[in-house]
Amino acid sequence: MKRQQLLTNGIKITFAILIVIFFVWSLTAGNFQIIFDQPEQFFHLFIQHIQMVVVSSLLALLVAIPVGIFVTRPRFRKLEWLFLNTANLGQTIPSIAILAIVMTYLGIGFNSAVFALFAFSVLPILRNTVAGLNAVDPALIDAAKGMGFTPLQILRKVELPNAAYPIMAGIRTAIVMNIGTAALAYLVGGGGLGDLIFTGIVMQDHTYLLSGAVPVTILAILVDLLLRLFEKVVVSKGLRRAASTSN
Amino acid sequence: MKTKTYLAIALTLLLLLLAACGNDSTSSDNLDSKGTLVVGGKNFTEQFILAKITSIYLKENGYEIEEKTNMGSEVLRQALSNEQVDLYWEYTGTGLINYLDQEPASSAEEAYQTVKAIDKEENQIEWLDMSNVNNTYTLMIREDHAEQLGIQSISDLANYVNENPGTLTFASNAEFATRSDGLSGVEDVYDFQFGSSNVIRMDSGLTYQALDEGQVDIAMGFSTDSRIKGFDLLALEDDKEFFPAYNAAVTVREAIVDEHPELVELLAPLAESLDTETMTTLNYTVDIEQMNESEVAREWLLEQGLIEE
Repeated sequence: MKRQQLLTNGIKITFAILIVIFFVWSLTAGNFQIIFDQPEQFFHLFIQHIQMVVVSSLLALLVAIPVGIFVTRPRFRKLEWLFLNTANLGQTIPSIAILAIVMTYLGIGFNSAVFALFAFSVLPILRNTVAGLNAVDPALIDAAKGMGFTPLQILRKVELPNAAYPIMAGIRTAIVMNIGTAALAYLVGGGGLGDLIFTGIVMQDHTYLLSGAVPVTILAILVDLLLRLFEKVVVSKGLRRAASTSN
Repeated sequence: MKTKTYLAIALTLLLLLLAACGNDSTSSDNLDSKGTLVVGGKNFTEQFILAKITSIYLKENGYEIEEKTNMGSEVLRQALSNEQVDLYWEYTGTGLINYLDQEPASSAEEAYQTVKAIDKEENQIEWLDMSNVNNTYTLMIREDHAEQLGIQSISDLANYVNENPGTLTFASNAEFATRSDGLSGVEDVYDFQFGSSNVIRMDSGLTYQALDEGQVDIAMGFSTDSRIKGFDLLALEDDKEFFPAYNAAVTVREAIVDEHPELVELLAPLAESLDTETMTTLNYTVDIEQMNESEVAREWLLEQGLIEE
Protein backbone atom coordinates (compact mmCIF):
# COMPACT_ATOMS: atom_id res chain seq x y z
CA MET A 1 0.00 0.00 0.00
CA LYS A 2 2.68 2.44 1.02
CA ARG A 3 4.92 1.61 -1.91
CA GLN A 4 2.08 2.19 -4.31
CA GLN A 5 1.40 5.58 -2.76
CA LEU A 6 5.07 6.48 -3.10
CA LEU A 7 5.04 5.49 -6.75
CA THR A 8 1.90 7.51 -7.48
CA ASN A 9 3.37 10.57 -5.83
CA GLY A 10 6.61 10.10 -7.71
CA ILE A 11 4.76 10.02 -11.03
CA LYS A 12 2.68 13.06 -10.07
CA ILE A 13 5.78 15.08 -9.19
CA THR A 14 7.62 14.03 -12.35
CA PHE A 15 4.63 15.16 -14.43
CA ALA A 16 4.47 18.48 -12.60
CA ILE A 17 8.18 19.09 -13.21
CA LEU A 18 7.85 18.17 -16.90
CA ILE A 19 4.94 20.58 -17.29
CA VAL A 20 6.88 23.39 -15.63
CA ILE A 21 9.88 22.72 -17.88
CA PHE A 22 7.61 22.79 -20.93
CA PHE A 23 6.17 26.14 -19.92
CA VAL A 24 9.51 27.75 -19.21
CA TRP A 25 10.87 26.47 -22.51
CA SER A 26 7.79 27.58 -24.44
CA LEU A 27 7.83 31.03 -22.90
CA THR A 28 11.49 31.58 -23.67
CA ALA A 29 11.04 30.19 -27.19
CA GLY A 30 8.31 32.76 -27.79
CA ASN A 31 5.65 30.14 -28.36
CA PHE A 32 2.93 32.20 -26.71
CA GLN A 33 3.84 35.36 -28.55
CA ILE A 34 0.32 35.97 -29.78
CA ILE A 35 -0.89 36.41 -26.20
CA PHE A 36 1.59 39.22 -25.67
CA ASP A 37 1.46 40.68 -29.18
CA GLN A 38 -2.31 40.92 -29.39
CA PRO A 39 -3.48 40.90 -25.77
CA GLU A 40 -6.83 42.50 -26.57
CA GLN A 41 -7.61 39.93 -29.23
CA PHE A 42 -6.52 37.14 -26.91
CA PHE A 43 -8.69 38.24 -23.99
CA HIS A 44 -11.62 38.80 -26.30
CA LEU A 45 -11.33 35.19 -27.48
CA PHE A 46 -10.61 33.92 -23.98
CA ILE A 47 -13.75 35.55 -22.60
CA GLN A 48 -15.82 34.25 -25.54
CA HIS A 49 -14.51 30.77 -24.77
CA ILE A 50 -15.48 31.01 -21.09
CA GLN A 51 -18.89 32.45 -21.94
CA MET A 52 -19.69 29.53 -24.21
CA VAL A 53 -18.57 26.98 -21.63
CA VAL A 54 -20.41 28.65 -18.74
CA VAL A 55 -23.70 29.11 -20.59
CA SER A 56 -23.74 25.62 -22.14
CA SER A 57 -22.66 23.91 -18.90
CA LEU A 58 -25.29 25.72 -16.84
CA LEU A 59 -27.96 24.77 -19.36
CA ALA A 60 -26.78 21.17 -19.26
CA LEU A 61 -26.89 21.16 -15.44
CA LEU A 62 -30.34 22.73 -15.37
CA VAL A 63 -31.65 20.08 -17.75
CA ALA A 64 -29.73 16.95 -16.83
CA ILE A 65 -30.08 16.92 -13.04
CA PRO A 66 -33.86 17.52 -12.88
CA VAL A 67 -34.38 14.99 -15.67
CA GLY A 68 -32.15 12.53 -13.81
CA ILE A 69 -34.22 12.97 -10.66
CA PHE A 70 -37.45 12.75 -12.63
CA VAL A 71 -36.70 9.45 -14.33
CA THR A 72 -35.54 7.79 -11.11
CA ARG A 73 -38.86 8.44 -9.36
CA PRO A 74 -40.61 5.05 -9.14
CA ARG A 75 -43.62 6.31 -11.06
CA PHE A 76 -41.61 7.52 -14.07
CA ARG A 77 -38.87 4.93 -14.09
CA LYS A 78 -40.27 3.48 -17.30
CA LEU A 79 -39.23 6.65 -19.13
CA GLU A 80 -35.56 6.30 -18.22
CA TRP A 81 -34.56 4.67 -21.53
CA LEU A 82 -36.23 7.44 -23.51
CA PHE A 83 -34.33 10.28 -21.86
CA LEU A 84 -31.02 8.44 -21.71
CA ASN A 85 -31.22 7.55 -25.37
CA THR A 86 -32.11 11.08 -26.36
CA ALA A 87 -29.12 12.34 -24.41
CA ASN A 88 -27.02 9.58 -25.93
CA LEU A 89 -27.84 10.92 -29.37
CA GLY A 90 -26.27 14.23 -28.39
CA GLN A 91 -23.05 12.41 -27.60
CA THR A 92 -22.91 9.94 -30.45
CA ILE A 93 -23.33 12.41 -33.29
CA PRO A 94 -19.83 13.80 -33.88
CA SER A 95 -19.62 17.29 -32.43
CA ILE A 96 -18.65 18.80 -35.77
CA ALA A 97 -21.77 17.32 -37.34
CA ILE A 98 -23.97 18.73 -34.56
CA LEU A 99 -22.43 22.13 -35.20
CA ALA A 100 -23.12 21.96 -38.91
CA ILE A 101 -26.71 20.79 -38.44
CA VAL A 102 -27.52 23.30 -35.73
CA MET A 103 -26.01 26.13 -37.74
CA THR A 104 -28.81 25.95 -40.27
CA TYR A 105 -31.40 26.69 -37.59
CA LEU A 106 -29.62 28.86 -35.05
CA GLY A 107 -27.32 30.75 -37.38
CA ILE A 108 -23.60 31.12 -37.12
CA GLY A 109 -21.85 32.05 -33.94
CA PHE A 110 -22.56 31.90 -30.24
CA ASN A 111 -26.02 30.27 -30.26
CA SER A 112 -25.04 27.31 -32.41
CA ALA A 113 -21.86 26.74 -30.46
CA VAL A 114 -23.68 26.85 -27.13
CA PHE A 115 -26.38 24.48 -28.30
CA ALA A 116 -23.87 21.93 -29.61
CA LEU A 117 -21.84 22.10 -26.41
CA PHE A 118 -25.02 21.74 -24.38
CA ALA A 119 -26.10 18.66 -26.34
CA PHE A 120 -22.65 17.24 -25.79
CA SER A 121 -22.59 17.88 -22.02
CA VAL A 122 -26.02 16.56 -21.06
CA LEU A 123 -25.25 12.85 -21.28
CA PRO A 124 -22.36 12.54 -18.78
CA ILE A 125 -24.30 14.50 -16.17
CA LEU A 126 -27.60 12.72 -16.79
CA ARG A 127 -26.07 9.25 -16.85
CA ASN A 128 -24.17 9.79 -13.64
CA THR A 129 -27.17 11.35 -11.90
CA VAL A 130 -29.34 8.36 -12.83
CA ALA A 131 -26.66 5.84 -11.91
CA GLY A 132 -25.93 7.63 -8.64
CA LEU A 133 -29.58 7.80 -7.59
CA ASN A 134 -30.20 4.21 -8.61
CA ALA A 135 -27.27 3.05 -6.54
CA VAL A 136 -28.56 4.50 -3.28
CA ASP A 137 -29.11 1.63 -0.84
CA PRO A 138 -32.87 0.87 -0.72
CA ALA A 139 -32.51 0.09 2.98
CA LEU A 140 -31.68 3.74 3.59
CA ILE A 141 -34.79 4.87 1.78
CA ASP A 142 -36.90 2.34 3.66
CA ALA A 143 -35.48 3.59 6.92
CA ALA A 144 -36.30 7.17 5.98
CA LYS A 145 -39.82 6.13 5.03
CA GLY A 146 -40.14 4.39 8.38
CA MET A 147 -39.15 7.63 10.08
CA GLY A 148 -42.02 9.37 8.33
CA PHE A 149 -40.04 11.38 5.73
CA THR A 150 -42.00 12.75 2.78
CA PRO A 151 -40.72 11.75 -0.70
CA LEU A 152 -39.23 15.23 -1.13
CA GLN A 153 -37.44 14.94 2.18
CA ILE A 154 -36.10 11.53 1.21
CA LEU A 155 -34.76 12.98 -2.03
CA ARG A 156 -33.14 15.94 -0.34
CA LYS A 157 -31.79 14.36 2.80
CA VAL A 158 -31.06 10.78 1.77
CA GLU A 159 -30.88 10.24 -1.99
CA LEU A 160 -29.08 13.33 -3.24
CA PRO A 161 -26.39 13.40 -0.54
CA ASN A 162 -25.73 9.71 -1.11
CA ALA A 163 -25.56 10.15 -4.87
CA ALA A 164 -23.52 13.33 -4.69
CA TYR A 165 -20.20 11.70 -5.49
CA PRO A 166 -21.15 10.14 -8.85
CA ILE A 167 -23.19 13.21 -9.78
CA MET A 168 -20.21 15.47 -9.16
CA ALA A 169 -17.99 13.12 -11.15
CA GLY A 170 -20.39 13.45 -14.08
CA ILE A 171 -20.43 17.22 -13.82
CA ARG A 172 -16.65 17.34 -13.74
CA THR A 173 -16.30 15.11 -16.79
CA ALA A 174 -18.87 17.13 -18.71
CA ILE A 175 -17.42 20.55 -17.96
CA VAL A 176 -13.78 19.61 -18.52
CA MET A 177 -14.68 18.01 -21.85
CA ASN A 178 -16.80 21.02 -22.69
CA ILE A 179 -13.79 23.34 -22.31
CA GLY A 180 -11.83 21.35 -24.87
CA THR A 181 -14.74 20.87 -27.26
CA ALA A 182 -15.53 24.60 -27.21
CA ALA A 183 -12.47 25.04 -29.44
CA LEU A 184 -14.61 23.65 -32.28
CA ALA A 185 -16.87 26.70 -32.03
CA TYR A 186 -14.48 28.36 -34.45
CA LEU A 187 -15.94 26.25 -37.23
CA VAL A 188 -19.30 28.00 -37.05
CA GLY A 189 -18.01 31.43 -36.23
CA GLY A 190 -18.52 31.12 -32.49
CA GLY A 191 -15.12 32.57 -31.66
CA GLY A 192 -13.22 31.43 -28.58
CA LEU A 193 -9.68 30.14 -28.35
CA GLY A 194 -10.41 27.71 -31.18
CA ASP A 195 -9.79 30.66 -33.51
CA LEU A 196 -6.12 30.63 -32.53
CA ILE A 197 -5.85 26.83 -32.58
CA PHE A 198 -7.34 26.50 -36.06
CA THR A 199 -5.31 29.42 -37.37
CA GLY A 200 -2.24 27.59 -36.09
CA ILE A 201 -3.27 24.37 -37.82
CA VAL A 202 -4.04 25.99 -41.16
CA MET A 203 -0.98 28.22 -41.18
CA GLN A 204 1.26 25.53 -39.69
CA ASP A 205 2.25 28.14 -37.12
CA HIS A 206 2.93 26.76 -33.64
CA THR A 207 2.82 30.20 -32.10
CA TYR A 208 -0.87 30.49 -32.87
CA LEU A 209 -1.54 26.85 -32.07
CA LEU A 210 0.06 26.95 -28.63
CA SER A 211 -1.24 30.41 -27.78
CA GLY A 212 -4.69 28.88 -28.12
CA ALA A 213 -4.19 25.29 -27.00
CA VAL A 214 -2.19 25.90 -23.83
CA PRO A 215 -4.64 28.38 -22.27
CA VAL A 216 -7.45 25.91 -23.03
CA THR A 217 -5.51 23.15 -21.28
CA ILE A 218 -4.73 25.33 -18.28
CA LEU A 219 -8.35 26.42 -18.09
CA ALA A 220 -9.48 22.79 -18.08
CA ILE A 221 -7.02 21.86 -15.33
CA LEU A 222 -7.97 24.85 -13.17
CA VAL A 223 -11.68 24.25 -13.55
CA ASP A 224 -11.17 20.58 -12.70
CA LEU A 225 -9.34 21.59 -9.51
CA LEU A 226 -12.06 24.07 -8.66
CA LEU A 227 -14.74 21.43 -9.13
CA ARG A 228 -12.78 19.01 -6.96
CA LEU A 229 -12.79 21.61 -4.20
CA PHE A 230 -16.48 22.09 -4.68
CA GLU A 231 -16.93 18.32 -4.53
CA LYS A 232 -15.25 18.30 -1.12
CA VAL A 233 -17.85 20.76 0.11
CA VAL A 234 -20.80 18.90 -1.40
CA VAL A 235 -19.89 15.26 -0.77
CA SER A 236 -19.75 14.15 2.85
CA LYS A 237 -16.45 12.86 4.09
CA GLY A 238 -17.64 9.34 4.82
CA LEU A 239 -19.08 8.89 1.33
CA ARG A 240 -15.96 10.18 -0.33
CA ARG A 241 -13.84 7.67 1.51
CA ALA A 242 -16.27 4.88 0.67
CA ALA A 243 -16.22 5.84 -2.99
CA SER A 244 -12.47 6.13 -3.26
CA THR A 245 -11.78 2.76 -1.63
CA SER A 246 -14.42 0.96 -3.67
CA ASN A 247 -12.81 2.15 -6.91
CA MET B 1 -24.15 -30.02 -50.34
CA LYS B 2 -26.68 -27.38 -51.20
CA THR B 3 -25.10 -24.71 -49.03
CA LYS B 4 -21.77 -25.40 -50.68
CA THR B 5 -23.24 -24.79 -54.11
CA TYR B 6 -24.75 -21.52 -52.97
CA LEU B 7 -21.48 -20.55 -51.41
CA ALA B 8 -19.64 -21.30 -54.63
CA ILE B 9 -22.11 -19.23 -56.65
CA ALA B 10 -21.87 -16.37 -54.19
CA LEU B 11 -18.09 -16.44 -54.29
CA THR B 12 -18.02 -16.50 -58.06
CA LEU B 13 -20.36 -13.52 -58.20
CA LEU B 14 -18.22 -11.70 -55.68
CA LEU B 15 -15.11 -12.35 -57.74
CA LEU B 16 -16.85 -11.14 -60.89
CA LEU B 17 -17.90 -8.01 -59.03
CA LEU B 18 -14.38 -7.38 -57.85
CA ALA B 19 -13.05 -7.94 -61.33
CA ALA B 20 -15.58 -5.43 -62.65
CA CYS B 21 -14.46 -2.88 -60.08
CA GLY B 22 -10.86 -3.31 -61.03
CA ASN B 23 -11.72 -2.76 -64.65
CA ASP B 24 -10.54 0.82 -64.66
CA SER B 25 -6.88 0.10 -64.21
CA THR B 26 -6.65 -3.01 -66.36
CA SER B 27 -8.71 -2.03 -69.40
CA SER B 28 -6.01 0.18 -70.86
CA ASP B 29 -3.54 -2.63 -70.47
CA ASN B 30 -2.68 -2.78 -74.13
CA LEU B 31 0.62 -3.66 -75.69
CA ASP B 32 1.50 -0.36 -77.29
CA SER B 33 1.17 1.61 -74.03
CA LYS B 34 3.42 4.62 -73.77
CA GLY B 35 4.11 3.92 -70.11
CA THR B 36 2.44 4.48 -66.78
CA LEU B 37 1.85 7.92 -65.30
CA VAL B 38 0.58 8.72 -61.81
CA VAL B 39 -1.82 11.68 -61.86
CA GLY B 40 -2.29 13.38 -58.50
CA GLY B 41 -4.97 15.70 -57.20
CA LYS B 42 -5.92 17.68 -54.12
CA ASN B 43 -9.00 17.23 -52.00
CA PHE B 44 -11.60 19.55 -53.51
CA THR B 45 -13.99 19.43 -56.45
CA GLU B 46 -11.98 21.49 -58.92
CA GLN B 47 -8.98 19.25 -58.38
CA PHE B 48 -11.04 16.08 -58.82
CA ILE B 49 -12.24 17.44 -62.14
CA LEU B 50 -8.80 18.58 -63.31
CA ALA B 51 -7.28 15.23 -62.37
CA LYS B 52 -10.06 13.36 -64.19
CA ILE B 53 -9.71 15.53 -67.31
CA THR B 54 -5.98 14.90 -67.37
CA SER B 55 -6.30 11.18 -66.70
CA ILE B 56 -8.94 10.58 -69.35
CA TYR B 57 -7.07 12.69 -71.88
CA LEU B 58 -3.78 10.91 -71.28
CA LYS B 59 -5.47 7.50 -71.28
CA GLU B 60 -7.00 8.27 -74.68
CA ASN B 61 -3.53 9.17 -75.84
CA GLY B 62 -2.18 5.77 -74.97
CA TYR B 63 -0.79 6.10 -71.46
CA GLU B 64 -1.57 3.90 -68.55
CA ILE B 65 -2.85 6.06 -65.74
CA GLU B 66 -2.91 5.64 -62.02
CA GLU B 67 -4.85 8.24 -60.08
CA LYS B 68 -3.93 9.46 -56.61
CA THR B 69 -6.36 12.17 -55.67
CA ASN B 70 -7.90 13.53 -52.50
CA MET B 71 -4.61 14.64 -50.96
CA GLY B 72 -3.80 17.70 -48.89
CA SER B 73 -1.83 20.38 -50.69
CA GLU B 74 1.44 19.91 -48.79
CA VAL B 75 1.17 16.12 -48.93
CA LEU B 76 0.65 16.13 -52.68
CA ARG B 77 3.62 18.38 -53.28
CA GLN B 78 5.70 16.03 -51.10
CA ALA B 79 4.41 13.08 -53.11
CA LEU B 80 5.56 14.78 -56.31
CA SER B 81 9.04 15.36 -54.89
CA ASN B 82 9.19 11.79 -53.57
CA GLU B 83 8.28 10.39 -56.99
CA GLN B 84 5.02 8.91 -55.76
CA VAL B 85 3.11 11.19 -58.09
CA ASP B 86 4.26 12.15 -61.60
CA LEU B 87 2.11 15.17 -62.35
CA TYR B 88 -0.77 17.24 -60.94
CA TRP B 89 -2.40 20.65 -61.29
CA GLU B 90 -0.89 23.23 -58.96
CA TYR B 91 -1.62 26.95 -58.52
CA THR B 92 1.09 29.52 -59.16
CA GLY B 93 0.26 31.49 -56.00
CA THR B 94 0.45 28.36 -53.85
CA GLY B 95 3.80 27.43 -55.32
CA LEU B 96 5.16 30.92 -54.92
CA ILE B 97 3.96 31.60 -51.38
CA ASN B 98 3.65 28.20 -49.71
CA TYR B 99 6.40 26.12 -51.28
CA LEU B 100 8.99 28.64 -52.40
CA ASP B 101 8.59 31.29 -49.70
CA GLN B 102 8.47 34.13 -52.22
CA GLU B 103 6.55 37.39 -52.13
CA PRO B 104 3.07 37.08 -53.65
CA ALA B 105 2.69 38.48 -57.16
CA SER B 106 -0.61 39.83 -58.46
CA SER B 107 0.40 39.59 -62.10
CA ALA B 108 -0.35 36.10 -63.38
CA GLU B 109 2.54 36.09 -65.82
CA GLU B 110 5.07 37.28 -63.26
CA ALA B 111 3.95 34.67 -60.72
CA TYR B 112 4.15 31.94 -63.35
CA GLN B 113 7.60 32.92 -64.63
CA THR B 114 8.96 33.09 -61.09
CA VAL B 115 7.71 29.67 -59.94
CA LYS B 116 8.72 28.11 -63.24
CA ALA B 117 12.29 29.38 -62.96
CA ILE B 118 12.82 28.64 -59.27
CA ASP B 119 11.12 25.26 -59.18
CA LYS B 120 13.09 24.01 -62.18
CA GLU B 121 16.39 25.06 -60.75
CA GLU B 122 15.89 24.18 -57.10
CA ASN B 123 13.46 21.27 -57.16
CA GLN B 124 13.68 19.81 -60.68
CA ILE B 125 9.96 20.39 -61.07
CA GLU B 126 8.60 21.67 -64.39
CA TRP B 127 5.60 23.96 -64.70
CA LEU B 128 3.86 23.28 -68.03
CA ASP B 129 1.71 25.91 -69.78
CA MET B 130 -0.33 28.10 -67.46
CA SER B 131 -4.11 28.08 -67.77
CA ASN B 132 -6.42 31.05 -67.30
CA VAL B 133 -8.06 29.33 -64.35
CA ASN B 134 -7.34 31.81 -61.58
CA ASN B 135 -8.55 30.35 -58.31
CA THR B 136 -7.66 33.31 -56.15
CA TYR B 137 -9.27 34.85 -53.11
CA THR B 138 -12.34 36.94 -53.68
CA LEU B 139 -14.64 39.07 -51.55
CA MET B 140 -18.30 38.30 -52.08
CA ILE B 141 -21.63 39.97 -51.44
CA ARG B 142 -25.23 38.89 -52.14
CA GLU B 143 -26.32 40.25 -55.52
CA ASP B 144 -29.43 42.02 -54.24
CA HIS B 145 -27.49 43.51 -51.36
CA ALA B 146 -24.81 44.74 -53.77
CA GLU B 147 -27.43 46.56 -55.78
CA GLN B 148 -28.98 48.03 -52.67
CA LEU B 149 -25.67 49.36 -51.36
CA GLY B 150 -24.21 50.19 -54.75
CA ILE B 151 -21.14 48.00 -54.31
CA GLN B 152 -19.55 46.32 -57.32
CA SER B 153 -15.84 46.46 -56.61
CA ILE B 154 -13.61 46.37 -53.55
CA SER B 155 -13.09 50.14 -53.94
CA ASP B 156 -16.87 50.62 -53.65
CA LEU B 157 -16.80 48.44 -50.56
CA ALA B 158 -13.96 50.49 -49.06
CA ASN B 159 -15.91 53.71 -49.65
CA TYR B 160 -19.03 52.27 -48.11
CA VAL B 161 -17.20 50.98 -45.02
CA ASN B 162 -15.43 54.31 -44.55
CA GLU B 163 -18.74 56.17 -44.72
CA ASN B 164 -20.60 53.68 -42.53
CA PRO B 165 -17.98 52.25 -40.18
CA GLY B 166 -18.89 49.16 -38.19
CA THR B 167 -22.06 48.32 -40.10
CA LEU B 168 -20.89 45.48 -42.34
CA THR B 169 -19.84 42.10 -40.93
CA PHE B 170 -17.35 39.91 -42.69
CA ALA B 171 -16.95 36.12 -42.70
CA SER B 172 -13.44 34.81 -43.12
CA ASN B 173 -11.56 31.59 -42.59
CA ALA B 174 -8.62 31.51 -40.20
CA GLU B 175 -6.01 31.69 -42.92
CA PHE B 176 -7.36 34.71 -44.76
CA ALA B 177 -7.94 36.65 -41.54
CA THR B 178 -4.33 36.11 -40.52
CA ARG B 179 -2.20 36.24 -43.64
CA SER B 180 -0.66 39.50 -44.74
CA ASP B 181 -1.74 38.74 -48.31
CA GLY B 182 -5.25 38.28 -46.97
CA LEU B 183 -7.54 40.61 -45.08
CA SER B 184 -5.01 42.99 -43.58
CA GLY B 185 -3.42 43.44 -47.01
CA VAL B 186 -6.74 44.25 -48.69
CA GLU B 187 -7.55 46.71 -45.93
CA ASP B 188 -4.16 48.40 -46.35
CA VAL B 189 -4.31 48.68 -50.12
CA TYR B 190 -7.93 49.83 -50.32
CA ASP B 191 -7.65 51.88 -47.14
CA PHE B 192 -10.57 50.70 -45.02
CA GLN B 193 -11.15 48.62 -41.86
CA PHE B 194 -13.91 46.18 -41.01
CA GLY B 195 -12.88 46.39 -37.36
CA SER B 196 -11.88 43.24 -35.50
CA SER B 197 -15.26 42.69 -33.84
CA ASN B 198 -16.95 42.71 -37.27
CA VAL B 199 -14.76 39.92 -38.62
CA ILE B 200 -16.20 36.50 -37.85
CA ARG B 201 -13.88 33.56 -38.36
CA MET B 202 -15.25 30.19 -39.44
CA ASP B 203 -14.52 27.10 -41.47
CA SER B 204 -13.65 27.86 -45.13
CA GLY B 205 -16.66 26.08 -46.58
CA LEU B 206 -19.17 27.88 -44.37
CA THR B 207 -18.52 31.43 -45.49
CA TYR B 208 -20.72 31.02 -48.58
CA GLN B 209 -23.60 29.65 -46.53
CA ALA B 210 -23.26 32.35 -43.87
CA LEU B 211 -23.42 34.98 -46.60
CA ASP B 212 -26.28 33.28 -48.42
CA GLU B 213 -28.34 33.07 -45.22
CA GLY B 214 -27.75 36.74 -44.55
CA GLN B 215 -25.81 36.17 -41.35
CA VAL B 216 -22.94 38.28 -42.61
CA ASP B 217 -22.77 41.02 -45.26
CA ILE B 218 -19.46 40.24 -46.95
CA ALA B 219 -17.51 36.97 -47.09
CA MET B 220 -14.25 35.69 -48.45
CA GLY B 221 -14.33 32.89 -50.97
CA PHE B 222 -12.43 31.35 -53.85
CA SER B 223 -13.11 32.68 -57.31
CA THR B 224 -13.86 29.36 -59.01
CA ASP B 225 -16.19 28.05 -56.29
CA SER B 226 -19.51 27.07 -57.84
CA ARG B 227 -21.46 28.38 -54.88
CA ILE B 228 -20.82 31.95 -56.07
CA LYS B 229 -22.98 31.10 -59.06
CA GLY B 230 -25.29 28.75 -57.19
CA PHE B 231 -26.16 31.18 -54.38
CA ASP B 232 -26.43 34.29 -56.60
CA LEU B 233 -23.42 35.93 -55.03
CA LEU B 234 -21.33 38.65 -56.57
CA ALA B 235 -17.54 38.40 -56.51
CA LEU B 236 -16.36 41.98 -56.03
CA GLU B 237 -14.00 43.23 -58.67
CA ASP B 238 -10.43 43.50 -57.37
CA ASP B 239 -9.92 46.83 -59.18
CA LYS B 240 -6.51 47.49 -57.64
CA GLU B 241 -5.33 43.96 -58.45
CA PHE B 242 -4.36 43.20 -54.89
CA PHE B 243 -5.00 39.48 -54.68
CA PRO B 244 -2.14 37.33 -55.91
CA ALA B 245 -2.66 35.21 -58.98
CA TYR B 246 -3.44 31.55 -58.38
CA ASN B 247 -3.41 30.24 -61.94
CA ALA B 248 -3.56 26.50 -62.40
CA ALA B 249 -0.83 24.71 -64.34
CA VAL B 250 0.37 21.13 -64.53
CA THR B 251 3.47 20.51 -62.46
CA VAL B 252 5.54 17.50 -63.39
CA ARG B 253 8.91 16.12 -62.39
CA GLU B 254 11.76 16.92 -64.75
CA ALA B 255 12.67 13.23 -64.98
CA ILE B 256 9.21 12.49 -66.37
CA VAL B 257 9.52 15.27 -68.95
CA ASP B 258 12.90 13.87 -70.01
CA GLU B 259 11.36 10.44 -70.35
CA HIS B 260 8.22 11.69 -72.15
CA PRO B 261 9.14 15.01 -73.82
CA GLU B 262 5.92 14.81 -75.88
CA LEU B 263 3.88 15.53 -72.70
CA VAL B 264 4.59 19.25 -72.91
CA GLU B 265 2.92 19.56 -76.32
CA LEU B 266 0.27 17.01 -75.51
CA LEU B 267 -1.01 18.79 -72.39
CA ALA B 268 -0.82 22.32 -73.83
CA PRO B 269 -4.38 22.29 -75.29
CA LEU B 270 -5.83 21.53 -71.84
CA ALA B 271 -4.29 24.63 -70.31
CA GLU B 272 -5.31 26.65 -73.34
CA SER B 273 -8.98 25.66 -73.18
CA LEU B 274 -9.50 26.12 -69.46
CA ASP B 275 -10.31 29.46 -67.86
CA THR B 276 -11.93 30.69 -64.65
CA GLU B 277 -15.42 30.76 -66.13
CA THR B 278 -15.16 27.27 -67.62
CA MET B 279 -13.80 25.95 -64.36
CA THR B 280 -16.60 27.57 -62.33
CA THR B 281 -19.16 26.00 -64.65
CA LEU B 282 -17.54 22.58 -64.38
CA ASN B 283 -17.43 22.91 -60.59
CA TYR B 284 -21.09 23.93 -60.70
CA THR B 285 -22.15 20.85 -62.61
CA VAL B 286 -20.43 18.62 -60.07
CA ASP B 287 -21.22 20.46 -56.83
CA ILE B 288 -24.67 21.86 -57.46
CA GLU B 289 -26.04 19.63 -60.22
CA GLN B 290 -24.48 16.58 -58.57
CA MET B 291 -23.01 15.15 -61.77
CA ASN B 292 -20.26 12.61 -61.56
CA GLU B 293 -16.85 14.21 -62.11
CA SER B 294 -15.69 11.56 -64.59
CA GLU B 295 -18.70 12.24 -66.79
CA VAL B 296 -18.24 15.99 -66.52
CA ALA B 297 -14.57 15.64 -67.45
CA ARG B 298 -15.25 13.31 -70.38
CA GLU B 299 -18.06 15.47 -71.71
CA TRP B 300 -15.95 18.61 -71.59
CA LEU B 301 -13.07 16.86 -73.39
CA LEU B 302 -15.50 15.68 -76.09
CA GLU B 303 -16.98 19.17 -76.43
CA GLN B 304 -13.55 20.66 -76.91
CA GLY B 305 -12.73 18.00 -79.48
CA LEU B 306 -9.76 16.87 -77.40
CA ILE B 307 -10.87 13.24 -77.38
CA GLU B 308 -13.06 11.21 -79.67
CA GLU B 309 -16.23 9.34 -78.84
